[in-house]
Amino acid sequence: MKENMLAMNKKSFLGTVCVAVALTAVVSACGDGTTRSAGWEFSRNMYDPIAYNPDQPNNNFENKITAQTPPEGTSPIGFERFEYGNSVEEYQRAGEELTNPLVVNQANLAQGEALYLTYCAVCHGNDGAGDGPITLDREVEDSRGKRALENFPPPPSYHQSAGTPSSRGGLMSELSDGKIYHTITYGYNAMGAHASLLTPEERWQVVMYVHELQKK
Amino acid sequence: MRNISSVLGRLVKSASISLMLLFAVTTTTQAQDAANGAALFKSNACQSCHSVGKKGVGPDLQGLADRREEEWIIKWIHNPQAMIDSGDEQAVALKAEYATMMAPYAHLSDDDIRDIIAYVQSEEQKLAEKAAAGGGAAGGGAASSDANMLMIVGLVALFVVGVVVIIALNRVTTTLEKVIVTNRAAISEAQAEYDQGGESGLVKFAKAFLKNKKLVFFVVLMVVGLLGVAGWKTMWNVGVHEGYKPVQPIKFSHQIHAGVNQIECQYCHGGAFKSKNASIPSANVCMNCHNTVTASEHYDGEVSPEIAKLYRAVDWDVDSRTYGTNTRPIEWVRIHNLPDFAYFNHSQHVVVAGVECETCHGPIQDMEEVYQYSPLTMKWCVDCHQETSVDTDNAYYEQLIAAHEKLKKGEKMTAAMIGGLECGKCHY
Repeated sequence: MKENMLAMNKKSFLGTVCVAVALTAVVSACGDGTTRSAGWEFSRNMYDPIAYNPDQPNNNFENKITAQTPPEGTSPIGFERFEYGNSVEEYQRAGEELTNPLVVNQANLAQGEALYLTYCAVCHGNDGAGDGPITLDREVEDSRGKRALENFPPPPSYHQSAGTPSSRGGLMSELSDGKIYHTITYGYNAMGAHASLLTPEERWQVVMYVHELQKK
Repeated sequence: MRNISSVLGRLVKSASISLMLLFAVTTTTQAQDAANGAALFKSNACQSCHSVGKKGVGPDLQGLADRREEEWIIKWIHNPQAMIDSGDEQAVALKAEYATMMAPYAHLSDDDIRDIIAYVQSEEQKLAEKAAAGGGAAGGGAASSDANMLMIVGLVALFVVGVVVIIALNRVTTTLEKVIVTNRAAISEAQAEYDQGGESGLVKFAKAFLKNKKLVFFVVLMVVGLLGVAGWKTMWNVGVHEGYKPVQPIKFSHQIHAGVNQIECQYCHGGAFKSKNASIPSANVCMNCHNTVTASEHYDGEVSPEIAKLYRAVDWDVDSRTYGTNTRPIEWVRIHNLPDFAYFNHSQHVVVAGVECETCHGPIQDMEEVYQYSPLTMKWCVDCHQETSVDTDNAYYEQLIAAHEKLKKGEKMTAAMIGGLECGKCHY
């Protein structure tokens, strides 16, 4: 019986090859193509930089971080200093004293809009009504099942037509240059500070665009 | 342990809820318009600081009408500072407890404020009904306790099945022993017969196999081919990390943040606009949202364990809403890593060429865990560079063409005119 099977004729030979190919195809189709392992590497030293990357551990510093916080009182090149503190009084003072140093033009407004859509719209909504996607009911379905996500407290609307009061006095639609700039820099209430995300010039561009939204 | 505490917590919760319901039923006059209150609550952006059932920038409004007189609330909303100045005990205590001072809302009439109180009470009732109906918080919490229940039932079932199997096996061995005892003669006969049989089946098969030279050649050929292909593929994949999905220190889901929440990629990875690196956000960027978002409704009122890792990294105290000094970096595992001999600049691709993030990073908005989507090999770069046409409608190319026109006319061009005097040309 077994001897017969081993004396393969062409048909069973071809059959075996077909089965082998099919099995290989099935096995190789398993998994989703992702792996926990970094795989093999050749000459790792050619991959690692000689200098430190900003996100690398660094034993030269006490806290072992390469990206050190700049010393107190220094300003990066190209940064205008903002000489106002983080308090309601300083906010009022900035609101009275500061004006936007940028010229209102199409280029600045377009840049302001792009920055607003990237950094602000997720809460304040695309047109400033305070209805950004994370303030609305939404749910996710992933490996932990289907569940609702927590809503971020919606911010007040900028619109003139809404007439929403600001929590630090006045109407949202009447916020001045300095007040908006102060809020972007330090944050207020549920809003965090956005100073590390936007350069001073970018903040002024956003301020310019927010004034457009206030007219609605 | 956690299960027991959650059961206890739920008991306490439901008891307090039924008390509260009783209280609500007996005392509500509900003359005030909760709907108007809801509109006022939203239009005055009260929700920026307050919510019902959770502490935010300001106090939790749950049980507001029980702990404060209506008159007090109205006076406070109209002018909180004046109440503190007048030395009101409760007002001074609030000022001491919360970092942010509430602003005066003098434009709200007494009736407006009564409406808002009615709205807060209606929210309390809704919360109580939801808790009573769901036997806990939202869907997630219920699901997790269901899972706990399932585990316990499963464990008990497993134990029962185990006991049954042990008993059955015991029975089988005793019967088999009896069979051996009664048939000893027949067994030894069969044993003798088997010993005389000689070679086993496997040896017979191997001998027959070796006789067939064609088959041996074929098998050797297959093995060599297989090893060759496997070796070839392995060699080509040395240093290629396509599909690399390491375990990260925090289970951060891009599916939630970039997909469902629709947060722009550059909100966190702003470096992609400005520099070579897309940059991993520092934890203060996370805290812009997570100073309020704790996902506690899925964890019986506790902060989600993953978000708690973030709080430990920045030393944030949830109750007092303040930062400490004991910070420590989150050690994310780098996924995309180009060798140091290859230069790649994100801003050139994102800002100048306008390439979408998904082109190279794949469907990030669907990835619960991020993996490397593209091979990042030189061939992969070159393939794209050979197909992508350059946008020449800008000042750079206008100047370039103008310079070529001048050259054609035979005008003189010095090294200084093409950047020959830049410091970095010599002093790099």
